[in-house]
Amino acid sequence: MPANVIPSASVPWPAGRAMFRNVAARGLLRYASPVILVLLWQGTCSMGIVSTRLVASPVQVIMTGWSLLRDGTLGANLGVSLARAATGLLIAVALGVGFALVSGLSRLGEDLVDAPLQILRTLPALAMVPLFILWFGIGETPKIALVALGATFPIYLNLHKGIRSIDPRLLEMTRTLGLSRVRTIRDVILPGALPDLLVGLRFAVGMSWLMLVVAEQVNAESGIGHMMMEAQDFMRTDIIMVGLVIYGLLGLVSDQIVRLMERTFLSWRPSHRRGQAA
Amino acid sequence: MATIAPTGAGGMNAVFMTDRMHDAIAPRDGGVAVHGLTRRFGHGPAVLDGLDLTIAPGEFVALLGHSGSGKSTLLRTLAGLDPVHEGTLFRPDAVSVVFQDGRLLPWKRVWENVVLGQAGADRRDRALAVLEEVGLGHRVDAWPLTLSGGEAQRAALARALVRRPAFLMLDEPFAALDALARLKMQRLVARLWARHACAVLLVTHDVDEALLLADRAIVLDHGRIRTDLAIPLDRPRHHADPGFIHLRGVLLDALGVHDD
Repeated sequence: MPANVIPSASVPWPAGRAMFRNVAARGLLRYASPVILVLLWQGTCSMGIVSTRLVASPVQVIMTGWSLLRDGTLGANLGVSLARAATGLLIAVALGVGFALVSGLSRLGEDLVDAPLQILRTLPALAMVPLFILWFGIGETPKIALVALGATFPIYLNLHKGIRSIDPRLLEMTRTLGLSRVRTIRDVILPGALPDLLVGLRFAVGMSWLMLVVAEQVNAESGIGHMMMEAQDFMRTDIIMVGLVIYGLLGLVSDQIVRLMERTFLSWRPSHRRGQAA
Repeated sequence: MATIAPTGAGGMNAVFMTDRMHDAIAPRDGGVAVHGLTRRFGHGPAVLDGLDLTIAPGEFVALLGHSGSGKSTLLRTLAGLDPVHEGTLFRPDAVSVVFQDGRLLPWKRVWENVVLGQAGADRRDRALAVLEEVGLGHRVDAWPLTLSGGEAQRAALARALVRRPAFLMLDEPFAALDALARLKMQRLVARLWARHACAVLLVTHDVDEALLLADRAIVLDHGRIRTDLAIPLDRPRHHADPGFIHLRGVLLDALGVHDD
């Protein structure tokens, strides 16, 4: 924190600045403000300024989370939610990558695939919920389908863009080297589009959590969303907030996983090596 | 893409739309022959206008000309990137191009870029040998985006040489480099050419560069060869040599640059 590094007369100013830039100091500062907010929240609840019937206190949320974890409720519901999101996302990756390859690598494919997908993507995916329930009933299928529907478009759009925006000068170069079409796709087009695919994957992961929340709150008998809806009937704001925290953690962890994939697969990008060094 | 059909045991490629006279002008021994090459875009004026050009095996030719004179179009046609609509073109099978921007794949390490598309278990050894030759032996496993401009061009040169070209095209390969790097690269190209004995076409804006390196300098103007100047100077060449200074005057004059 700046107050700790006020330069003394013997320490030149730039040295103090360098200390301020120190990663640990900056990390501390970044985490200080959320921690203060949580403390304020606890304080207002403890002093009775806010009714704990409307807003559970942080301590309450932690205690409830712990007991839900111990009686197995949280684990079971989390497992169901994770399975739905993962299955839907997997389907979305397969569909999105497949469509993007077809429409990115051939003109005919683009004419056939791109227009319908561009029309479909303007529909808000959540508006499909009533139709999906009529089509697929109230089991797992409509929930997974909703996740898959929402997550397919970011993957398709980004990968398609990535394939189409490969530097034409590189493609020209591969022609002068006499590279075959298959090798050009493998060595130039796919690696060149990988950064865009990973951007699409990050959006898709975020989208799949969003879809999951809605799917599980509209019609479900298990899952984090169902647990929260049930808590609503009993005015258990603490359980609802545990659900919110879980959703937040899921989003955070899955985003970190995609970032890790970016660092692993895109290590050729200088910015990523700088990021690792810092 | 033009039709590139092998014409028998000579190892030559014929790229042609009109097949008149191609027997008469095909060089027998692996050089480059262009006859009556015309290229226009849409209904505009011809970018290449009935161009004739021969490059003997092992000959070093510098191609000069103002922007828009047709240099790039000629090079792209020779490289097989642009189709031949009118005229005939013969070139060896083994051609390589070095572009102004190295055009390395950023996601492949330097040595993998060099042997891109090459088969065989000794790929890495061949890459190492040629990278050593261009003075890049210490950056074999580097990512291309970490290379300096000069290093990237050396890698591009290595990629061109590893294919043992009979005809090497250099498209303003040093234009984006700083003056010192450019001098080093010019010496490197002179050394490599002496060793590999391939025909070279160097597109450049730099009159001194042409005079330092080439056997012959060609000035292109409105799609035609305006000047075809032999450079009969002994190597290594020096800027202060009277013959060099004389030829520089001739070339600058051909390019329309006059001393006041």
